[in-house]
Amino acid sequence: MNQTTETLINATINGKAISAPEYLSVIQALWHAGYPRIKSVGCLEGVCGTCRVLVRRQNSQNITTELGCQVLIEEGMQVNFLAFPTPAQQHYKLEDIRNSWEVQDNFHTIFPEAENCRHCGGCNTTCPKGINVERGVILAAKGRFREAGDLFTECVLCDLCQSACPENIAPNHVGIFSRRVTAHLHTRPSNLINRLERLRKGELKVVI
Amino acid sequence: MTNNISYQEALANYEAVAERPLPEVNYEGLLEKYHPDYFKDACVQLKIGPNKGDICHIQLAEMLQADARIDEADLAGAQVIETDILIIGGGGAGCAAALTAAETGARVLIATKLRLGDSNTVMAEGGVQVSIEKDDTPQQHYDDTLRSADRPVDKKLVAEMVMSAPDVIRWLIQQGMQFDLDEYGDLLTRKAGGTTAPRVVYFRDYTGLEMMRVLKEAVRSTEIEVLDYVPTVELLSDEDGHCTGAVLSSLEDNRYKLVKAKSVIIATGGIGRLHLNGFPTSNHFGATGDGLVLAYRLGAKLRDLDSFQYHPSGLAYPQHLSGTLITEGVRSAGAYLLNAQGERFVDELQPRDKVAAAIMRECAEGRGVDAGNGIQGIWIDTPGLELKNPGIFNARFPKLIKIGKKSGIDPRKQPLLIYPTLHYQNGGVIIDKHGQTNIPGLYCVGEVSGGIHGRNRLMGNSLLEIISFGRRAGIHAAKYSPRKPFRKISIEHLSRLRRELMLADMPMDSKGPILFPAYAKFETDSDYSGLHKNKKSK
Repeated sequence: MNQTTETLINATINGKAISAPEYLSVIQALWHAGYPRIKSVGCLEGVCGTCRVLVRRQNSQNITTELGCQVLIEEGMQVNFLAFPTPAQQHYKLEDIRNSWEVQDNFHTIFPEAENCRHCGGCNTTCPKGINVERGVILAAKGRFREAGDLFTECVLCDLCQSACPENIAPNHVGIFSRRVTAHLHTRPSNLINRLERLRKGELKVVI
Repeated sequence: MTNNISYQEALANYEAVAERPLPEVNYEGLLEKYHPDYFKDACVQLKIGPNKGDICHIQLAEMLQADARIDEADLAGAQVIETDILIIGGGGAGCAAALTAAETGARVLIATKLRLGDSNTVMAEGGVQVSIEKDDTPQQHYDDTLRSADRPVDKKLVAEMVMSAPDVIRWLIQQGMQFDLDEYGDLLTRKAGGTTAPRVVYFRDYTGLEMMRVLKEAVRSTEIEVLDYVPTVELLSDEDGHCTGAVLSSLEDNRYKLVKAKSVIIATGGIGRLHLNGFPTSNHFGATGDGLVLAYRLGAKLRDLDSFQYHPSGLAYPQHLSGTLITEGVRSAGAYLLNAQGERFVDELQPRDKVAAAIMRECAEGRGVDAGNGIQGIWIDTPGLELKNPGIFNARFPKLIKIGKKSGIDPRKQPLLIYPTLHYQNGGVIIDKHGQTNIPGLYCVGEVSGGIHGRNRLMGNSLLEIISFGRRAGIHAAKYSPRKPFRKISIEHLSRLRRELMLADMPMDSKGPILFPAYAKFETDSDYSGLHKNKKSK
């Protein structure tokens, strides 16, 4: 635990040879080695989805997609940042869905591609949060929005699944749509509604 | 650093126990001696501007009294964009303002330094305060907020905020935000440190993430125009001192753009990335206090510039995650804080400033854990909580489980090492209940504004504040802006700034706002060569 000499790790980030201590993330390692980095940096806690990287580890054939702030530098690792603009997304207004009987119909208008899923699993492979994205899309296409939405609890809208989909489905937005309609149409907490009523009747005041 | 106890030895001293009695704790003089707000030489008097003579943190003072990044020559040939309402910042407050303003048909433009949603909002974990339990009232919420503030606050703002809280939650649900509910569909609540009733509603330890992705999705589905990667470097004004727009710098084409607006709403958040007093931070990469600098230069008055929140439970080890937040919800659920001897030393649900100072006292007096490389801290007893309440981490704190995985530590089996992390700017720009500053046409909402939290903010009051005042400012700006004519745009106020700097014999070699923390090396990044102003690379 008490390190006196730091072990330096050698890796390649955006084509640059980097040496940095083993406890740094690839973003921190880039900074540590003196290279600038602004775009693709965000919360640094794995919840904003901006720092997407392609990673190939030493002696591995696989290329993985991860969040740069969450990847610790490893010997021989090759890393490339994926800083491209957010793709255009579906436009929909929750207020236009008049009641819960019509959600499924609306869904297929907003996301016509969703029922074309080829079950290729690309979205699952790219998801840095390990979400079962494909299942979420299939559930949503069947109108099971609450279940679909629950699968996307940890989604950070990094758009990697969208990039991976050969049918141009936007699975993350399918997920957030599923979550939003569930709250919009079904969350009706009586404790909140009761409090709003008492406020409306002027029963509660704040004395300054 | 005092000789603390080594990580291994302290771990050997630790034992998971479900219930531990609270020892006698001495809070007398605790803040004065250990809280960083009281550090000797932490503050200076401001020499120029509307708060001349007021006490301000030394690092913030340096920024508020820096020279501007641009002059007239930079604006020659810049593209001009017109809009009714310009919103600077794309976090929770900015999106709430934008959505409410756009509903009325006003033209709205959001300009954000990074991308829409890149903000402290997305990182918030604990929840939102709203008095809905049957034994709770808005009055209690108000009283708790004032008591913890420990300094005079703007009481009208606090009253407006607590009274609006239930409607804020209703609005969020209408936008499609989910909350943790009980079996009957009622909102679950938890208790925040320093409060008299369970009042925080939440979604797991992802409350901010859930809020932000919903608001982001909602904004993207409207006519609101969003410009990503355009840090604002200056506000625009006319000869009467009205705010009439802003100067944006584009990270896409390295050029300046002028936005002519009838109202400007600043929602740029806080300043954690200045790493005040050398602390790590739980804040977003973009939290460099840009809005404070912009507003101050135009003559907006600020308050409480000497007071910042250090959240008690920032992860201290492993190093790459240093500063990462562990939500107060974990303490609220009953987790103890233990020193290296495995003993409790503070009531974990005291206000954050006291708990943070108590942790620093343990480490200063040799009862902390020393993890090497200058890392110190104390334990948050997560295994004890799991023992008391099996399954709670999986059900309520999935983000913490993920943090544990990245640390190679299962928080259900081993306690995590924590130390206070710079979390929140308690003060900011003075506003009225509509978010208006003393500069006509200029609003400030969210963390950039001041007056509600005094010296210490309660958990759950910031997510409440951003939506409550974001909506207010959005409504007010939309009501008064669209019918107004456009006014002249100039950067004449910079002549006044430079004159003042010269008269006060201040150095003019550093330019603000800094936009990015020095370690990101924005000022030497060849990608943005057209926008460099601070030539000295740090």
